[in-house]
This record gives sequence, C-alpha cells and structure tokens, in this order.
Amino acid sequence: MRSLNFGYAISHPRAIDMDNNDLRKSRAIIEEMPELQACISCGSCTASCTAGNITNFNFRKLHTSVRRGEYKGAYEELNKCMLCGKCRLVCPRGINTRGLIMLIKRKLGDF
Amino acid sequence: MTFFAPFTIPFIVGSIVMFAIIATKWITWIIQLPKVDRRLMRHNLLTRKTLYAIWEVIRESLLHVRIFRVNPLLGFMHMSLAFGWFLLIVVGWIETTVYLGWQMIPLQGHVFFKYFAPLNGIDTHIHLFDHLMDALLLFVLIGVALAWFKRFRARAMGMRRTTRHRLLDRVALTALWFIFPARLIAESITSAIYGNGGFLTGGIGGWLNNIIHHDILVALYEPSWWIYSSLLGAFFIALPFSRYMHIFTEIPLIFLRQWQLRPTSERKSYDNFEIAACSRCGICIDPCQLQSDLGINDTQSVYYLRDRRYNMLTLKVANNCLMCGRCEAVCPVGINLSTLRLNSRAKRRNIPHEGRYKYFAGIDRSNGSGKIGYFAGCMTTLTPSVQRSMEKIFEAVGDEVWYADKDGGVCCGRPLMLSGETDAARKMVVYNTDLFRRYEITTLITSCPICLRVFKESYRLDGIEVLHHSQYIDRLIADGRLMLDASSEVFTYHDPCELGRGLGIYDEPRNILTTLGSLREPWHNRDNALCCGSSLANTIIDDQQQRRIAERMTTELDATKCHTIVTACPLCNKAISRTAHHPTQDIAEVVARNIHQNC
Amino acid sequence: MAHRVVIVGGGAAGIQTALELKSRGIEPIIVERDIELGGKARGWHKLFPLFTPAKDIIDPLIARLREERIRCFYGQEVTEIASDGVVLRSGERIPGDAVVVATGFTLFDAHRKQEYGYGLYDNVITSVDLERMMNSGRVVLTDGSEPRRIAFLHCVGSRDEKVDQKHCSKVCCITGVKQAIEIKQMFPDADVFNFYMDIRMYGPGYEELYRSAQQDYNIHFIRGRISEAAETINKRIQIKAEDTLTGRPLRMTVDMLVLLVGMSANYENKNLAQSAGIPLAPNGYFRTQDSFLGSVTCEREGIFFAGAATAPKSLADTLAEASLTASAVCNYIKVKYTK
Repeated sequence: MRSLNFGYAISHPRAIDMDNNDLRKSRAIIEEMPELQACISCGSCTASCTAGNITNFNFRKLHTSVRRGEYKGAYEELNKCMLCGKCRLVCPRGINTRGLIMLIKRKLGDF
Repeated sequence: MTFFAPFTIPFIVGSIVMFAIIATKWITWIIQLPKVDRRLMRHNLLTRKTLYAIWEVIRESLLHVRIFRVNPLLGFMHMSLAFGWFLLIVVGWIETTVYLGWQMIPLQGHVFFKYFAPLNGIDTHIHLFDHLMDALLLFVLIGVALAWFKRFRARAMGMRRTTRHRLLDRVALTALWFIFPARLIAESITSAIYGNGGFLTGGIGGWLNNIIHHDILVALYEPSWWIYSSLLGAFFIALPFSRYMHIFTEIPLIFLRQWQLRPTSERKSYDNFEIAACSRCGICIDPCQLQSDLGINDTQSVYYLRDRRYNMLTLKVANNCLMCGRCEAVCPVGINLSTLRLNSRAKRRNIPHEGRYKYFAGIDRSNGSGKIGYFAGCMTTLTPSVQRSMEKIFEAVGDEVWYADKDGGVCCGRPLMLSGETDAARKMVVYNTDLFRRYEITTLITSCPICLRVFKESYRLDGIEVLHHSQYIDRLIADGRLMLDASSEVFTYHDPCELGRGLGIYDEPRNILTTLGSLREPWHNRDNALCCGSSLANTIIDDQQQRRIAERMTTELDATKCHTIVTACPLCNKAISRTAHHPTQDIAEVVARNIHQNC
Repeated sequence: MAHRVVIVGGGAAGIQTALELKSRGIEPIIVERDIELGGKARGWHKLFPLFTPAKDIIDPLIARLREERIRCFYGQEVTEIASDGVVLRSGERIPGDAVVVATGFTLFDAHRKQEYGYGLYDNVITSVDLERMMNSGRVVLTDGSEPRRIAFLHCVGSRDEKVDQKHCSKVCCITGVKQAIEIKQMFPDADVFNFYMDIRMYGPGYEELYRSAQQDYNIHFIRGRISEAAETINKRIQIKAEDTLTGRPLRMTVDMLVLLVGMSANYENKNLAQSAGIPLAPNGYFRTQDSFLGSVTCEREGIFFAGAATAPKSLADTLAEASLTASAVCNYIKVKYTK
C-alpha cells in the first residue's frame, strides 16, 4: 500500500508506525550512546536551548522522534542547533547532549 | 683508494632509500602548501628570522633544551643521542678531511673510516681524533644506556607513562639501541687487530687481544662490521616510516615556524611537518587528565598525531580531548596540538548549506544603551548571579551598558568551531559582529572565557576593545573607580583553561583577589592549572567522567583550606561547585559583594 | 539492670524508637546534635495527606519522652559508631548494648541549583521556607504583598545527576500538591502552577489529594522542568520551561517560585559508616541488609537503622519503621544476652 502515492498526500501518516519504521539508524544511535535511553523527557534541554529561544527548535521532541525511527526533516532541524552546550549543563540525567547532536547528525547525514 | 666493501651495502641502500623518501616527502609537502604560506616563506627567507631558526635548530634539535626543562635526565638522554651522534658525524668528517684532504669521499668512507683507514694504508697518527671519537661514542652510549633504563624505569626520568609504539617504531627503536654498541664492538675488534684506537675502543681492543685468540678476532672482524652496517641500514629504512622521522622533520618545521607559518582551522600541508615532527616522546601523556583521572589511554596528543600520520584517526580519538592545552604547554617540539586536533575535526563536518542559521536575520535580543557592551554568554544565563553581580558593578561605577544577550542572544560560535564546524560558525561571527557594530560599542565585556577567546581570535572587532570581566574590574580598581572593602577572607583561584593557557590572563583575577583578601594557590596553577573537565571541546566523555575530573581538580582547591573558591568561567564554576566543599563563586560575585558602600 | 541502647538522632525516628524500646523494658539514650528534639518535623506546618498539624504529632512524642524520663544528650555530635556504643566529638564514649542510627537526612541546599536563583532573587523560596511562612501565618512576597501567581517546581535536588542526587526523594510530589492546595486555600484567587517531571503518588490518599488539587482547587500541573529563572525589575520571577505535553517552550512570570527541595544523605554519613565498618549506598545513605526482612539492620550486628538515614521517607513511614527497629533491637538483645 505504501507504494501507492496519488501525489496529494498532505503529510506522512499521523501515527508513528513502529511496525514499519526503519529503526536501524535509531538502534545505531542508541548503541553508540545508550544514555539517550535514560531521557525522562523533562524538557530542560529544550527550555534552556539558545536556538529554541529564537526558533521552534525542540531537541527533546527531535531526539524522541529519531528514536522512534522518524527521521524525516530531523537533520535539517538539527542544523538550527548552535551547539552551545547549555542543554548538557542542565540535563538532570547527565546525557551528553552535545555529543548526541553530533552523533545524530552523523548518522542521519551519512558523513 | 677504495671505499667499498660488501658489508657497506646495507648502509648504502638504507641511506639512499631514506634520503629519497624524506626528500620526496618534504618536496611534496612544500609544493602542496597554500599560496599564503609560500608567500610567507619567500617573504621571510632572507630576514633575521632565518638566523633565529638556525639558533633554534641548535637549541632544540641538537641540545633539546626544552626537554631538559621537563627533566634534566630525560634532556640529557635526548641530547647525548642527538648531539652526540651529530658530533660523531661532524668530527668523523673532519678526521677524514684532515687525513685525506679535500676530496670526494663516498658517505660510507666517512662512516666506516675506521675500517677503510687500514685497508687503504692511511696512517692515522693523530691520537686526538681517536680519543675524541671514542669520547663522543661514549657520550652517545650513555644516552643509549639511559634509553634502555627509561624503558624499564620511566618514573626515574620524570615520566609516569611512556608511549606505546607501533611495529616499525619498534624495529627502528631496536636498531637504534644496538647501533652504537655494535659500532663499539666493530671498532674495538678493529683496534684489537691493528693495535690502534682511542681510550675506549683501543682499551677494549687491548683487552680483547688478551682474552681472545687472534684468529678468532680476525674471523669476527668482517661480521662485526656487517652487523653495524646492517643495523644502520635497518634504522634508515625504518626511519621515514617511524617516529624517528622527527629527527629530520623538526628542522624544516623550525624554519617554517620562524617564517610565521601556522596551522589553521582548515587542514593544510603544513600540518604534515608538525605531525611528523612529533618524536612520540610521550611527555604529553602525564599532564593529560583523561589519562590521569579517567585512565583513557588512546587519545593523548602523541596517539592522536600517530593515528593521524598513519591515516587511522578515528572520530572518537579526534573528539576525545578537552583541549585544555596542558599537553601543548609541555610539548618539547612546540606542536600546535589543539589547532591540529581542531582541524581534523573539521574534516568530518557536515556540509554547511546556505539556509543554515537563516533565522538569525532580524533578531535582536539586546537592550540598554551605552558604549560599553556586555555579552554574558549562553552559559552565564545558568549562573544568574554572575550577571547580577556585573550589573551591580556597572551600576556602582556608573557605566552605561548595552546588554547584548540579556534575553538570550546568538551563540558566539566557538562551541561550533570546537566541533569542527568552522564554516557554520562564521555565520554567528558575522551576526554578532554586525550587532556590535550597529550599537557602536567601543568596549565589549564578556563573562565567558569561551566567548572571549573567539571574540579575540576569530572576530574582526577593530575599534572595539574586548575584555574579560576580570580585566575590566581590575582596570576599574586600578583607575580608582571601584572601591572595594578588603577583609581577611582567604581565596583560592582556579584558572579556566580558555582564560589562562588560552589567552594568558592570569594576573588580573589575582590582582582583584589580593585587593579583597589573601590568595592561596592550588598545587597546579597558572599555565599548569588543571581543567575542570566540562570543556565544550570534548564530546566523548560522559557526565560521570566529567564529574570525576572535576572532583580531582576540586580536591586541590579544597586542600588550600580557603574560605571561597573563585573562578572566572561559568562552566568551571558549575563544575567546581558540583564537588567542592567550599563555596564557589565567580570573581564578579566576590567583587560585587565587597563593593565599598560609599562609592 | 536494664540493657542500654544508644540512639543517634533525636528526630521522629529516634524518639519513636526510644519510646518503643522503653516500653519493652530497654533503656534508650538519645544523642541529639541539635539543642532540641524533634528533627526536621519540628517547624513543619502541616503534614500530608490529611493536613495534620506537625505539632500534633511531634509534641506528644516529645512529651511522652519526658514522661518516660528517657535520657537525652543535646548539642552532642556523634563521630564514631560501633555495635557497643558511640563516641562523641568531645571524645566521650557512650557505651550501649546496641546502637540505632536515626540520623535522618539533610535538606538539599537549593543554592546549588544556581539557575533558579535561590538566595539571589527575593521571591524564590523553598518548600521549607514556605512551611515556616505558613507556620508564622503570613505568606507574603518580600514587599509584603500577597502572591497572586505561584509556581512550584518539583524535583529540586532529586533525580538530578548534576547535583549528585540520583534518587527520588519520594515526599516532594505529595508535598507540592499539599502546599499548592494550602496556597489555594489561603488565596483562592491565586493561580498555582506545579511544574513536574513525573507525579509519584505512592501513599494512601495521595492520588486522591492530587485529583482534588486538580479538580477542586484548579491547580495547573505543567509537565516540564523549569530550566532557568530570572528576576524582573519589579521582583517578579520569570521562568522558562518546556511544556513537554504540547512540545513547546513555555515562559511565564510569577510572583513567587517555590522550590520543592529534596532529601540528601548527610555528609557525615561517610565518616560514621567508616568508623562502624559498614557500607553506604551509592547515594550516600546507609545501606541496609536488604529491602525486605533486613530493612533496619546492616551487615554489622548490633547496629540498627530507623527513619530517613537509609532512604528518603515520609514521617508516617519513619514512625512505622521506628517500631520495627525497636522490635529488631529487642530480639537482638534477647538472643544475645539470654542463654
């Protein structure tokens, strides 16, 4: 069914399709940085975010989506980040967020 | 006269191969230099700088003065090997020239003169040469003995850890270890047979004559020269591929550096000289806190340079560095370790596209007005009392201040540069420069040493004086504009890496603290200060590892038994206050709470 | 002669253990660091979940202690513990047949979370400060006016590795709910916002109270941890968080920010544990033998625990555990001293 495209789909399906999402990249990211799984979604990273202060960049949502295998647009979105590192300083779980951003970009950008 | 014997073949082949490879490398590297660098070379070639370079070559490539400073014994080891061998060659050349006059003698004729002299019936009557050459050989042998000793007892040489080497290094190292003992044996046997030689080879020769039958000595004669020549040949062939390439690379490097060539955030051919000039002495290992505090053993500068040289650099090694600069401070070759590390990160950067950071357009989060601009920095928003203290100080002296990022501005760009994304960081540089220009500030004060460094090094802020807040405060005190109440409070000061080693700002914070009370230095201070571990340059170590580095460092600060630990960087502040047993404050906070009320 | 047990700490746990031991014919001695008994519960206003005045619990306990003429040392800090007694800072040794460690906890120092500006901004207070204010009967801003918009921040110094507090302090969630309701009762027109990461309502009546806070008191629960606070010119507090349920950054200005501070292990635990040769848990609390039948004992016989010395606990849990401790001590003495 997926191959059927009538050209007027508005966006991708509303549900996160965990049956069909390709989780290989997501797994590779988690494998390199298992601490990402420790995120409790407190939102501190997003709240303190320097880029999020100016744009709608939301790092918490982004890495959660990536973990679910929703990669579309993630790389471009991550390019909003200025890597200032405030998020790492506020993360109560001690997640290496700066390293994570670079990791996701590397895995999604294939460089 | 003949200067050929079959045993010299390994030596001849070895030296030809070595010189050919080295020459190829140098020529390629120089050809590949960017235009700017070649222009610098041309421009500076016929200036006093070249003389300085020659002087530096003598000091560093031969005498190894900088290693002497790390540890005299280690310095002596390097000097005896380098300078001793050099003198052996020079004196050997003089010797042959004295005996044979000016004529073309093949290289092996000089090197194996002791062998060829009796063969050609040359009367070596000047005993001074025999003794001198023996003395030099002894000098080198002492160096070799020390090198052996260092392998087994590194600590005695002031080094807790030494480098782990690759196979070719081991080949070269083993050859080097045995070259001079082999030469001693070959020359002693020769002396024994011909009854000549100086105090060392002659002495041993005489003794050999007494205990070994003449026929056996004659039988050993050729093989002993074969061994010596083969070891030399092996060493020469291994040399360009091993760490011993530094012997020949340090010399052009010194010249290039004197001619003002420097590595940049972009990789370039010049880097090859710096990389190959690393002797892998391993002096950089001990100061590395990733090593001493975390036991990480594969990322120190010596390994980084090695990996990069042999094209086996992993992103992890490139990124696993605090860039605290402690290794760079002690590197005897003066390699720009941090810059090299940075530009190898740049290789893995993503391709910057035009749309990136387009959102900067039209953003202005600044407020206030005044010729003095204050850029708190992203991190400072997490230590609001620093910002508050600065406001209090500005108010006390009556300076009108324009706040660039009170409501969160655009990052200075250095964090991005530290991750190798230099191109993308330019957009921030442009944005912030434009902002500063638009408000026509003449002074820019920042509370964050990371921002300060990038403002000073990568921004073109002509006409705007860039100051760290400690410099600004120090100046206010010196000018008598800010009166402070002194007390009996005891401070200890932690030098942030970016502020201290990075920008050489050591005295201003200390001046302020000694005005306010008394200052006690931790064990490691100034250019030897420890890193807090929270450096933005490292994206590999995890939170607990960062904490462990901070804890070790804080122990030293606590040990001074001060009342207050003071630092001048929001990141250091956070890291220290995490584990310190004493209250930790930024220098601005300490100043703000001691402002004299009537001023 | 009665057997003697030294109890380190005269808070709720210590007092209750002492009373229970006394009723079993054992002579307890309490060594208290402070000059008064009652510990942290003294000075607390009302207790969750039923808004019981803390006085109603603590005062009778202390009164009973006096009636029973239980010996107490005041202002004495214990520096060493062993199964046969303790050593005071003065060097004096108090022997006993068993020792109960009821040293409680330390309140997390909110100054350590610099980004919230505690001690820097006038109207940022902790939950403890709020209890004191309520005790004094006046909850006001520093300028004397009534707060009209109040934010509570959960998990300050709990579940935060940046301040080495990995554990959940257990009581702050319900305290936050309780205090929010109290504020609402005091100022019905005020808007109250609780910023939380997770709401953990583990005890009887807690979830009901939470529901009541939401429905009956119209308290707003926002899922997101405040990351920064700043003070405006008129001393209001500007906070930044992410409303994680809508996935958007949230900014708001409140009159008062209350930090629900967590429970930390005492710094002194390290030395005490070392002197006794017993281990500490990674979070700095004393480690019990296990979480089931050995929840008040440790590897060293003769040393027992009561209350929050081993983990964050509510007052109710502490009092319940103290009785358990007393019975464990009793059994130990009985087995040891009767053949």
